[in-house]
Amino acid sequence: MSVGRIVAVLVISLIACHAWPHTEAFAQGGEDIQKELGELKQMMEKMQKRIDDLEEKNRALEAEVESRESEEEVVVKEETVTVPASPSPGEPQGFLSKVVQSLNPEISVVAMITPTWYSLNDPVVFAHNDPENTGVNMQEVEVGFQSVVDPYFRFDSFFSFSTEGVEMEEAYGTTLFSMPLNSQLRIGRARAKFGRINQIHRHAQNFVTLPIVVAEFLGEHLNPTSVEASFLVPAPWYLELSASGGSPDVETPTFGRSPDANNLGNLLYIFHVANFFDVGESLGVSLGASFATGSNESGPDERSSLYGVDFFAKYRPLKNNPYQEVSLQSEFMWRQAETPEEELEDYGFYVEGMYRFAKRWNTGLRFDFTDTRTPIEEHEDEDHDHEHEEEEDEHGHSHDDILGLMGRAYRISPMLTFRPTEFSSIRLQYDYLNQDYGPNQHAVFLQFQYAIGAHGAHPF
Amino acid sequence: MKMFKSFPGLLFFIAAAAVMLLAGGSAEAKVRVVTSTPDFAAIAREIGGDRVDVESLSKGYQDPHFVDAKPIYITRLNRADILVYNGLDLEIGWLPILVTGARNSDIATLNSPGNVDASRFLTFVLDVPTGPVDRSMGDVHPRGNPHYMLDPRNGLLVAKGITEKLSGIDPENAAYYEENYRNFEKLLETRISEWSKELAPYKGTKVVSYHKNLDYFTRWAGFVDAGYVEPKPGIPPTPSHVAALIKKMEAEDVKLVLASNFYPQKTPRIISEKTGAVFLSIPTSVGGEEGINTYFDLFDAIVGQITSALGSGSGAAGSGSSMRNG
Repeated sequence: MSVGRIVAVLVISLIACHAWPHTEAFAQGGEDIQKELGELKQMMEKMQKRIDDLEEKNRALEAEVESRESEEEVVVKEETVTVPASPSPGEPQGFLSKVVQSLNPEISVVAMITPTWYSLNDPVVFAHNDPENTGVNMQEVEVGFQSVVDPYFRFDSFFSFSTEGVEMEEAYGTTLFSMPLNSQLRIGRARAKFGRINQIHRHAQNFVTLPIVVAEFLGEHLNPTSVEASFLVPAPWYLELSASGGSPDVETPTFGRSPDANNLGNLLYIFHVANFFDVGESLGVSLGASFATGSNESGPDERSSLYGVDFFAKYRPLKNNPYQEVSLQSEFMWRQAETPEEELEDYGFYVEGMYRFAKRWNTGLRFDFTDTRTPIEEHEDEDHDHEHEEEEDEHGHSHDDILGLMGRAYRISPMLTFRPTEFSSIRLQYDYLNQDYGPNQHAVFLQFQYAIGAHGAHPF
Repeated sequence: MKMFKSFPGLLFFIAAAAVMLLAGGSAEAKVRVVTSTPDFAAIAREIGGDRVDVESLSKGYQDPHFVDAKPIYITRLNRADILVYNGLDLEIGWLPILVTGARNSDIATLNSPGNVDASRFLTFVLDVPTGPVDRSMGDVHPRGNPHYMLDPRNGLLVAKGITEKLSGIDPENAAYYEENYRNFEKLLETRISEWSKELAPYKGTKVVSYHKNLDYFTRWAGFVDAGYVEPKPGIPPTPSHVAALIKKMEAEDVKLVLASNFYPQKTPRIISEKTGAVFLSIPTSVGGEEGINTYFDLFDAIVGQITSALGSGSGAAGSGSSMRNG
């Protein structure tokens, strides 16, 4: 199963890397394209020649200018040259290949490798991509392909490789054209707009482990395949409303495919309101609320509803200490889940504070908490979770597939990160976990992160 | 039916959508120009005069590589008719994500009518790598050095490009924009020759700068780049690099250390104290200091600060105090 997926992804990647421009081109009429390519090549050669000429001219000019040291500077007027794009004085072939290459999607690879120590032999691990056990863990290798499709769409895809296989984390198209009501559609599998951290890729998050409440309620991430419409409300501040409906084709702890699947009412619906305010130029505050409702697998009509609020504030003085910043991020979630036997209710939150004290250094502290009004017995979920029994065994003491919590748990995690550049980081984190239904746990992580390929965006 | 029982969110959603319908669609005659940095905003104001609304996303006292992609910028880009940005990957970490979120087909793609990559107006780009590049060389820009607005002659090219864009989008006012451009061109050419005259006595001055963002300026001013405080672009100075730089500066008799005022000032200050060179923390963008409101003000300030520091020949001078406005 997972081998098949790997092969599929490899084939897709190969096509994307090498054949992509050609397949699309030939689909539209190979001859035209070939002709155009020929013309392009000619143009390029002409341009290269022109550039060489200009360079020579330029050198001559500079020499001239230098020889007339005390004289007035010559104002270079635009009529001297008119090269449409920035000229590249590289070799002709290098220049050509650069232009052709730019039709390929932007490719990026981010890896997280984490030497880990857990105090328990059978460690408590909450999220799928958290370090699994004492030893060196390959947390995740994320491969991304992103590009504009045409004037109307862009497409972003991310594949998450782990030792257990590949997951299609995201693969969605986004509309680029103006639509009524300032709306935008995202079609495909995407990290849903639910809360804040669910929209942030794992490597861009601030801590090695996922907050417990997120792992227990959303899973590693909530990424149904869906159609999402979001509206930018013309308000003086940033106000975005989004609504999505889709198939819960990825198992999550809260939502699943109903046995009565062919029913629109049993799909997963997610709503989100996002606000952002500038409080002066140094402080930004964002506030959001989310709601998700969908079928859970415990019966044909049984539903789960998830409510969330999120808060984020970042203080970054622009004038003096440009690389210092302080931020506070928190999310609270409350869940109601119907099962044939009873209605389960639980909630949780996390609060994390970050302080970046130098360009390359930051430190942070996170507090995690989850509790339930209706504790469940361990493994109570087995009868409705037959599909995941194998994974359950591999995970050891996994909480991944439990609808409802067993009791109260909290965790405290101090963290220190050194970022030599934007493309690598070394993160040291300690976790102290306290749960009233199991033993306490200490854990130490030293996470190495590497990013190659396209330059990613810095998330706010 | 059961699902709608649990939908308090939906009600709010519908209400908010209704508000949005009512609030939307306000018509405004002025062309709305949003720029990534204040230099382009300053030039767009010169050309557009009172027929345009101009706004810059980043501030002049901010490192343009590292601007926070605040969601509020999406709201601004959503309403823009024209987006003018630096290009050459300067804004790669923050602008693309905002442009995608803006839902505005006028600026959404490279091919959109209002999407203006100002680097396309240039006639040359410095530091385009000729050999292979990778990130072991630091934060290299594979398409060349993006800090071209610090050569005032590029201001002319960009102004011309912006004029053409404005005229294309707002043809009714094309004559007005054209006239403003001619005035701007005339004034800037005059000022360029004045600044050049002021700088002429210092031609050949060896200069160490913090980052490679002053290369266009030093090239125009006729200075000689003698080294950088950063060992590699984007990598903070290390003690060994600083020691080697000091040695080099003493051997080559370097008299001037420059840094944009948004970079850390401690290390360049120490270097200037150790070597006896003048250290200047200079504004490198419009709005980089109080009182710098136009592209002319910017070069008045930079040229003024440098010439008065070099003229007085003092040792480790302070920063920012010798600013001059035109």
